[in-house]
Amino acid sequence: MEIQSLCKLKSKFVAREVGDELIIVPLSANVAQMNELFTLNETAKILWDHLDENSTFESLLRVITDNFDIDTTTASKDIELFLNKLDGLLKK
Amino acid sequence: MPARPNSICISIAEFKIELFSEQKIDLEEGYLPFIDTNDSKVADFSIECIEGLPVELFNSDKLVFEAENEAQKFYSVYKHDQGHGFYIYNQQTVNDIQQIAVLDGSFCNWKIYAERRNGIFMPLRYPMGPIIMHYMTLKSNAVLMHASSAFDGTKARLFSGFSGAGKSTISMLWAKAGHQIINDDRLIIRKLEDGFYVYNTPMYYQDQPKKAPLSSVFLISHSPVNKIKQLNGAVAVSKVMAFSIQNNYDRQFIQSRIDLFAELCSKVSVYELGFVPDENVVKFVLNHEAGENK
Repeated sequence: MEIQSLCKLKSKFVAREVGDELIIVPLSANVAQMNELFTLNETAKILWDHLDENSTFESLLRVITDNFDIDTTTASKDIELFLNKLDGLLKK
Repeated sequence: MPARPNSICISIAEFKIELFSEQKIDLEEGYLPFIDTNDSKVADFSIECIEGLPVELFNSDKLVFEAENEAQKFYSVYKHDQGHGFYIYNQQTVNDIQQIAVLDGSFCNWKIYAERRNGIFMPLRYPMGPIIMHYMTLKSNAVLMHASSAFDGTKARLFSGFSGAGKSTISMLWAKAGHQIINDDRLIIRKLEDGFYVYNTPMYYQDQPKKAPLSSVFLISHSPVNKIKQLNGAVAVSKVMAFSIQNNYDRQFIQSRIDLFAELCSKVSVYELGFVPDENVVKFVLNHEAGENK
């Protein structure tokens, strides 16, 4: 899924910080997703915060390499993992 | 204020609820021990009960939530400028409307429309009662949980998990070890000034109202061996919250719920407990707690 499509779906979640992590809960019109609550660690939380309509893979990569002592290859893998996880969550 | 005709007060989790009607109100058996005859406290919530179902009440309102599974509907929630509207469905005939309810914007005042069935006018007939309890907790620092709880006279342990995880079984095992069962299925957790408390709620059978200070939450599952793991932070909050009753169509509801659970999980211990359904699990948990306190 493209980053822009993910960004649009982001508004269907409520996010709340608990300590260093983020809990995201889907807004839902039925009971089907009641047990679907998710936590994002510090890296994923920063990606979530910076995911907006202007985001590109490169802009997210910059956010991670600017905030963490991490090489570009590892950061790219982390971002792909995050986007794939988000894609899975938002499609549920 | 003149005395209302056919008024009954009940107290659930120390919330006082006044039901009143032009008709005599019948209550399900489980509510009878919760009748409150103490006139000194003003009701926190009021419910006007009206016989008969109005026609086309919420047609122009927005359908925001439907509680249903593959087999049947439980209730539908509509939202309008002044509050919420509810259609509650008959659990025997599957999809017939059993009650229509209106909740005002303060979340304190209900109107329930219900038809007489076999000569009985029962506005809180299941599942109306738990719906009211859920919306009552949204207004307060409280939450309705699918859980059981056992009380040792000092502290209450709460057990929650998926359907079939063993909530009733484990509470029975604690009862055999001399603990009092607060309830084995549905509880209200309430934040008071000095901590979090757990309360039973009216069930289909009679049981006296109970209250106990909550000390720990166990998220249970069946397991080949007894095993326990403490949870902290966001993971604990998200896992405990998953077993609360939720109507997650409203951003504000969710935010306030996460805040309440974040505070709860900072005050009480949260564990994942895999257990073998025999009496050894009680000793296993007590030994674990004793080890933690050394």
